[in-house]
Amino acid sequence: MRPFDYVRATDTEQAVAVVSADPHASFLAGGTTQLDLMKDGVLGPERLIDITRLPLAGITHTDTTVRVGALTTMEELAADPVVRERLPFVREALLLGASTQLRNMATIGGNLLQRARCRYFRDPTVAACNKRNPGSGCAAITGIQRMHAILGTSDHCIALHASDVAVPLVALDAVVHVRGANGTRSIPLTQFYLPPGDTPHIENVLQHGELITALEIPLLPETARSHYLKVRDRVSYEFALTSAGVALVIEDGHIQEVRVALGGVGTVPWRAWDAEDVLRGARAGADSFRAAAEAALEGARPLPGTAFKVELAKRTLVRTLETVAGAAS
Amino acid sequence: MTTLETGTVVGAGLDRVDAPLKVTGSAQYPNDFSLTGMVHAALVGSTIAAGRIRSIDVTRAWAAPGVLAVVTHLNAPKLERGPMTLLGGSPPAPLQDDRILHYGQHIGIVVAESAEQARHAARLVRVEYEPAEALLDVNDPRAEIVENPWGLDTERGDVTAGFARADVVVDEAYTTPDNTNNPLGLMATVASWHGDSLTVHDSTQWPHNVRTSLAGIFKVPESGVRVLAPFVGGGFGAGLRVWSHVILTVLAAREVGRPVKLVLTRPEMFTSVGHRPNSVQQIKIGATRDGDLVAIEHHGISSVAMEDDDYEPVSYCSALGYACPNVLTRDRQARLNIPCPGSMRAPAEGQGNFALESALDEVAHAIGMDPLEIRLRNYAEEHPILGLPWSSKALRECFTEGAERFGWSRRTPEPGSMRDGRWLVGYGLAGVSYPFYQVPCQARASVRHDGSAYVRSAATDIGTGTYTVMTQLAAELLGVDVARVRFDLGDSDMPYAPQAGGSGLTGALGNAVHAACRRLVREFLDVVRDDTESPLHGAALDDVTVTDGRIHRIGDPAQGETYTEILTRHGLEELSADGRSTPPQSEELGMALSGAFGAKFVEVRLDPELGLLRVARVVSAIDGGRILNEKTATSQIIGGTVGGISQAMFEETATDQVTGRIANATFGDYLMPVNADVPDMEVLFVGGPDRATAVGTKGVGEVGLVGLAAAIGNAVFHATGRRIRSLPITIDRLML
Repeated sequence: MRPFDYVRATDTEQAVAVVSADPHASFLAGGTTQLDLMKDGVLGPERLIDITRLPLAGITHTDTTVRVGALTTMEELAADPVVRERLPFVREALLLGASTQLRNMATIGGNLLQRARCRYFRDPTVAACNKRNPGSGCAAITGIQRMHAILGTSDHCIALHASDVAVPLVALDAVVHVRGANGTRSIPLTQFYLPPGDTPHIENVLQHGELITALEIPLLPETARSHYLKVRDRVSYEFALTSAGVALVIEDGHIQEVRVALGGVGTVPWRAWDAEDVLRGARAGADSFRAAAEAALEGARPLPGTAFKVELAKRTLVRTLETVAGAAS
Repeated sequence: MTTLETGTVVGAGLDRVDAPLKVTGSAQYPNDFSLTGMVHAALVGSTIAAGRIRSIDVTRAWAAPGVLAVVTHLNAPKLERGPMTLLGGSPPAPLQDDRILHYGQHIGIVVAESAEQARHAARLVRVEYEPAEALLDVNDPRAEIVENPWGLDTERGDVTAGFARADVVVDEAYTTPDNTNNPLGLMATVASWHGDSLTVHDSTQWPHNVRTSLAGIFKVPESGVRVLAPFVGGGFGAGLRVWSHVILTVLAAREVGRPVKLVLTRPEMFTSVGHRPNSVQQIKIGATRDGDLVAIEHHGISSVAMEDDDYEPVSYCSALGYACPNVLTRDRQARLNIPCPGSMRAPAEGQGNFALESALDEVAHAIGMDPLEIRLRNYAEEHPILGLPWSSKALRECFTEGAERFGWSRRTPEPGSMRDGRWLVGYGLAGVSYPFYQVPCQARASVRHDGSAYVRSAATDIGTGTYTVMTQLAAELLGVDVARVRFDLGDSDMPYAPQAGGSGLTGALGNAVHAACRRLVREFLDVVRDDTESPLHGAALDDVTVTDGRIHRIGDPAQGETYTEILTRHGLEELSADGRSTPPQSEELGMALSGAFGAKFVEVRLDPELGLLRVARVVSAIDGGRILNEKTATSQIIGGTVGGISQAMFEETATDQVTGRIANATFGDYLMPVNADVPDMEVLFVGGPDRATAVGTKGVGEVGLVGLAAAIGNAVFHATGRRIRSLPITIDRLML
């Protein structure tokens, strides 16, 4: 690991100012991904600004939203009674991610900013990685592809966004609150992530030095039912091959409100707008569910090693819809 | 031969004697050793799989903070290749030229004051290559093929005539992927020179081999080399050889004149210490409508490194498993630009059994016979290759008692006929006939004047329970309470012991400890032979027995005295005796030496839409000969079962076919079961002591793993009607 300076921040504004002014400085929160990447030589910040003592933790509620401080841990958010009651698929997604030990360290702000799990990105001995080394190429495209994305990919990058909780959060139109050197701003999560295009090293709209301070999650209607289903090789402690987060309001057998997002398949947490369009107003049942799944995966660009994911993602979504509809009816 | 009598200590489920050390963190593993003045090393690995190094620029590495040495092929001394061993040749000596034979090959070592500095500097070494096209696929027609690499190809009867008689012939290709051993303990070496004397702490399964090899490579007397491995963080075969990183650490220590520690990283564990090679197997089985096997032909090809060797006779199991008059087995290896494979728990058997026991299931289905019945019908009453009676074989009891415990009779034969809600249910089984393996071993036993016993041998306990079972055995044989027996191992200055491998150590070492303890009792009798004060004077070994720290005449406990009384009266501090074991010989004994046997019964649940496969329960019925400790033996089988589930459903070392780089060399990416994947596992032991040796054990280190892959695959077939002939059985292969 490269030597670096460590500073424990005591003031949010000052922390933002320090990182904004130093291109080689980074924030450090839970560190569950960042320290791995530093040890592996993928990241080499010269200065770490530890923000864990800043007053950015904690959960507050209004009638319509849950506001989550960026330093709230995954376990803390999963334990929140309002989340448990009103946003069960957020809780499910949180608890299906990582392990208890990691969830006790990992913050919600850090989770949203987690880096790709791509083994070509995470190994600096691999020369070709446009995300790590812009313009160098993509070794993953011709490599072992099974854990990579099929939606939102480009010829320059196929790395997956592996967050579970981001899937229901994009479905819910959660909003990210950010502080930068020039003040604060709020960004809908659906507009927060950037597909790789020809700049895979730019993963979101944050400027260097901007800090996520909070996440605001709208509550679902009282009548909604939701579920997050994660499909993976082993029962626990693995990233998704495919996943789906679904919330539905069903009245008289018809879908009144719908939120659908997919994980394990997209270069960003994947809001399935087309699937929602198919489902909204439709009769809840096998035909509309399958049609929604077809619509959700229409733009998929699989490689030989990810071909199975297209059908698996469809079935994952259908099963999730069935589960939610079954619970709602 | 005096065989071990059934006593009270041996067989009991004694807790591990080393457990307190381990659970309190005070057991010292190789990477726990820190010596005065010690510095740290990191490796530089190649980033191509074939070709040459055009140039290496170490300027920046040398200039990095704390760096003490950078050694590459440009400044490395000439090193001899290590010697031939019981397991074949030694790995090639590192840094001897500019050639690259696989991705991750060690092409340099950097030494620095701290481990972090060494690793940082190692990343600063700049290498330019002249790449060549790498051979990476076992089916590549350009690969050099080694035919019959171990002389174990077999042929009996006439397979052509046999197949002509068959009513049903199954002829299918089965494939198994590369697997990586991955003991939890990262392999570590700490090397320290004093003149020509060398002390090495190493994660080895065989200290004497490390000593002999290093003495040969560095041209120093073996007597000055000491190798220590009192605790090893697992091995699964990865610690059987003196790999390049061990040699480089010793070299680095000599270079800087200070003790050097090297701990492999997890990714380096995938390229540096062996792996189970992939295999492609074509297996053809012919049977009559009544279920008699009339011919088996099994061809296996495995991958091997360009300039190294690996023992992997995958087809041999088909010659050993069943009574079939016409059998042909053939093995080949393809030389590829890969890190050298090496033994991984149940080498060869783990791959070959998957093909044999799956294909047998296919035959049973084709003729409409219960998979259990076809195995019993073709039961090999005699050793099918030697034609001799077995020294012990309770495979029939494994099948019948295992089936009873499992509830096999509840299985309805038709595939897809058993359900539990959305889940399809499948039952599958497989048999295992593990080959016999034993090599010579030595041990020394002493009794001190206080009546306590000390027994030792340069073996290792890689988590298997060697410390514990040998303590029990010595306590039984000397009649001393287990609390007053110390068994020590893991030091090359102790009497010679072979590797912890091949399921052979407990047999070899147990019989050596038996010999040493018996000789030690005889030593005591020799001391009192003419001692008229002793109630034992003139007694022969066969006249006495031992209990409660005393030797006394059989049938007359009053006629005896304690070890302490004998030693005190004769002014002796202690008596010691050496013992050694040599493997029994089939021809001499007129019987075929038996390894362990087993039958594995598995229930799976399968969600056919999502391809989700869950193992619901496993029953393993094992004939392991005499079981020295039911608790540690059961642990061995349970651990092996988890390994078998892992082989069946999870493990696959994925090599990038463009670059030769292993693409999943971390625990996040290389999957093995977590607790939630591991079901209820029942273990039952059947059979009794093997008659070929005094102690009568058969070794249970590997039989636990074998058969799970086939049993799970067979259960998947029963659940779905689909036969998966490639491991691992994953979602993408199961989506119906």
